[in-house]
Amino acid sequence: MARGNGTISAATGAFEDLPYSLAARIERPDGKTSPEELLAAAHAACFAMSLAGELSKAGSVPEHLDVRATVTLDEVEGGSHRIVASELLARARVEKMDQESLERLAEVASEGCTLSALIEASARVTVNATLEGGTDGD
Amino acid sequence: MATDRKAEVTWRGDLMSGTGRIDSVTSGAVGGLDVSWPARSEEPGGMTSPEELIAAAHATCFSMALSNVLAQDGHAPEQLKTSATVTFQPGEGITKIALDVEGRVPGMDKEAFERAAEDAKENCPVSKALASVPEISLTARLEG
Repeated sequence: MARGNGTISAATGAFEDLPYSLAARIERPDGKTSPEELLAAAHAACFAMSLAGELSKAGSVPEHLDVRATVTLDEVEGGSHRIVASELLARARVEKMDQESLERLAEVASEGCTLSALIEASARVTVNATLEGGTDGD
Repeated sequence: MATDRKAEVTWRGDLMSGTGRIDSVTSGAVGGLDVSWPARSEEPGGMTSPEELIAAAHATCFSMALSNVLAQDGHAPEQLKTSATVTFQPGEGITKIALDVEGRVPGMDKEAFERAAEDAKENCPVSKALASVPEISLTARLEG
């Protein structure tokens, strides 16, 4: 495995022949993706949709959400690797919303995002959300 | 050593009519991928989705794990062709992941390959992270 490499494509055609390898996964990426990076992209997109849904339900359609997900792979006892954490960070540009309500809705959004619920069964999921510019505009 | 991989997404608007974009990832291998709720829950129309990215994550993770199991058995594979299909039920979540692998592995018999594939399915980090998916199935066969 240490010397092997692969490519991954999507059925929708949205991406094709992305390279990946073990070295890229556990050392430096060197332009290659990895399972954890693809999971981070999935989690960020899942959470962004969920947060947009929760904000809209609360009467505050977001103008703009910036979401980051960072997935951590670590070596555990016995030398095998585990996904130990996914950290979600959101910055929201949204009217009629205060910081406290945003934080609460971000928690609800993570609970409602299918991937958060799955990852939480075996790893840590953290959520942080901040309001861009504050409630009185910028 | 722990490794972090990050992805950044921008979303504009509400859930039903808004759109998002995966702007960048740590490696730079992926960027500028659009997502939307209708594309996720109905016809994709060329757009990716969280579930498709999970499928890609699982297929790559499983392939690496299987190549490692095979190499440790003394049968490093020439090629593994893996697909992962993730089933998303809106309102319910991810209900199933189906893994399928076809291997070109010199000197290996069918039963040993199936055992190795089962091992990889159980132990790859993405399988462990997604262990609470109600059903994860596997079909494994050798080429030819």
